[in-house]
Amino acid sequence: MNHKAKPANATETGLHGDCLTVRYDRGLPVVIDGQSIAIPEGRITALIGPNGSGKSTLLKTLARQLTPETGQVVLDGRDIASLSRLQFARRVGMLFQENVAPAGLTIEDLVYHGRYGHRRLFESFTPEDRAAVEHALQMADIVHLRHRPVGRLSAGQKQLAWIAMALAQETQYLFLDEPTTFLDLAHQFDVMDLIHKLNRKLGKTVVLVVHDLNLAARYADHIFALREGRIVAYGTPPEVLTVETLRSVFDIEAHIVRDEGTGLFFCVPTGKARHTTTEL
Amino acid sequence: MVVVIAGACIVAAVAAFLQISLGAYDMSWHKAWSALTDPAVWQPSVLVRLLCGEGTAHALHLPDAPTLATSTLIVWNVRLPRILVGLMVGANLALSGTIFQAITRNELASPYLLGVSSGAGLAVLLGLMVYPVLGAHLPLLAMLGGSAAFLAVYAIAWHHGTSPVRLILAGVIIGAIAGSLQTMLFFLAKDLSTVQNAMSWTVGSLTGAGWEQVRMIAPWTLVSVVLGLSATRYLDVLLLGDPTASALGMNVERVRFLLAATAILAASSAVAVSGLIGFVGLIVPHIVRTSVGSAHRRLIVGCLFAGPALLTAADVLARLAFAPVQVPVGIVTGVLGGGFFLYLMRRRREFGKL
Repeated sequence: MNHKAKPANATETGLHGDCLTVRYDRGLPVVIDGQSIAIPEGRITALIGPNGSGKSTLLKTLARQLTPETGQVVLDGRDIASLSRLQFARRVGMLFQENVAPAGLTIEDLVYHGRYGHRRLFESFTPEDRAAVEHALQMADIVHLRHRPVGRLSAGQKQLAWIAMALAQETQYLFLDEPTTFLDLAHQFDVMDLIHKLNRKLGKTVVLVVHDLNLAARYADHIFALREGRIVAYGTPPEVLTVETLRSVFDIEAHIVRDEGTGLFFCVPTGKARHTTTEL
Repeated sequence: MVVVIAGACIVAAVAAFLQISLGAYDMSWHKAWSALTDPAVWQPSVLVRLLCGEGTAHALHLPDAPTLATSTLIVWNVRLPRILVGLMVGANLALSGTIFQAITRNELASPYLLGVSSGAGLAVLLGLMVYPVLGAHLPLLAMLGGSAAFLAVYAIAWHHGTSPVRLILAGVIIGAIAGSLQTMLFFLAKDLSTVQNAMSWTVGSLTGAGWEQVRMIAPWTLVSVVLGLSATRYLDVLLLGDPTASALGMNVERVRFLLAATAILAASSAVAVSGLIGFVGLIVPHIVRTSVGSAHRRLIVGCLFAGPALLTAADVLARLAFAPVQVPVGIVTGVLGGGFFLYLMRRRREFGKL
């Protein structure tokens, strides 16, 4: 299963994980069990699955926050373990589920921190840094809030500010771990619309973990469904979000409904699955 | 920001002038001023002798120092160096406290939290009691002890990398063990004067600080201030949390270790000349933070002014309040600092987390 010795291919682009096995400590059970995944370029990819299915772990492994026990993550033909932190941080940005800003930190200061990986020791901000920060503030539509302390914003505005920070990092890849979890519906739309805009306008490859299947259905181009550390289904939202897959992945019964007006489709859970599926 | 700097300068200036003119040998302000500006001192041979030591003066073949007036001698050989040492100790402790609070993301952190004080204290006590021959090398001993304890803390806290909580826990444990050993040494000591000497050292005192101490601490102060000022961006990003800092491209473990080393350098050079002066490293960053915010460029600059001001002011009290008896300045900072800390704690609901 160990594919460590794969030769690097310099002309290759894209991000994929090969035969990844991840666990948090020796002696603990594996969280990701020998899985391979290729992230579709220039698309929004959603990782879904029940609690403990390993979706966040997979995301963090792809973002080099966790080191796989076996297997490798390959970015543009190179094992990410062979890249320097700065090299990696200029290609892949990651936003975590919970973020706490120090008291008094303004939005502008926060977004400037996104430039960390672009600066050299002792160097002050360059015109490129300033331009990237302005652009990020504009994209997130928080220019008018720039001098406000992050701690005093609403949860939705906070999240936009953190995304703007990741945006100022100017990476091709943007990874987000449950970016909408603690938000009310209106702010969920704010955040998801921003993510959609980043993908469509700037061409960023977005990978996110979401709990809400309907957000995944609406915004994702591609979905990977995980259960017990394995990818059990992948494809476009209509391909993955089926009655059978929902039953086998989430142990739920659901109707899939298409809304005539918008053309969007929705999962309407009706209850726990009648037959618990453990084998797929 | 301007208020902090200006306020600190005024406090420090007033404290310094009180220190220079008052004491066992009282002088009028005018006399103190003329002693300070005594032209007999303001010439290269004397200044080099004071700042660089006799050895350097000899090596440079400087003429012998002229005989100075009593008031000039007192001001220049006793009172002024004490003020200078106090200023630098205050700056170092405040800087060190700021860094420790950032890397542990805990407002209760202080230079002494990660085992520095207990390690340095234990090493010095051992030096004083078990191997009195080492007496002349106390500062070096303090640094070694402090660094050793800190490395032990780091090793204990390390488990796939460190975390602020693990560092603090390990620091508390090491501190407790070293504290117990210190107390044990007190019981084992045969000579009462050694115990008293050691006691005053563990409380922290500027009594007897002279040019030798100035020369001892100055280079380390310069180094740690330069390092501290150039590290402000790292401190800011580190405050966003380890995962975010690392996603932004920071080698979190390496940066945290180097920052900690800078803080150790600052703290243990202060410990080496003045002993364990408590609460300065804890309180000063708090006071400054409430007025300039948590961005480290402003915070550290503020601390470099407020720390020295606070410590020299405290030393005025320590030296003059109970005259003719001098109490260690650590007692003043402990009592006043502790009280102030409690006041801060009562006033603010959310306390502890940064």
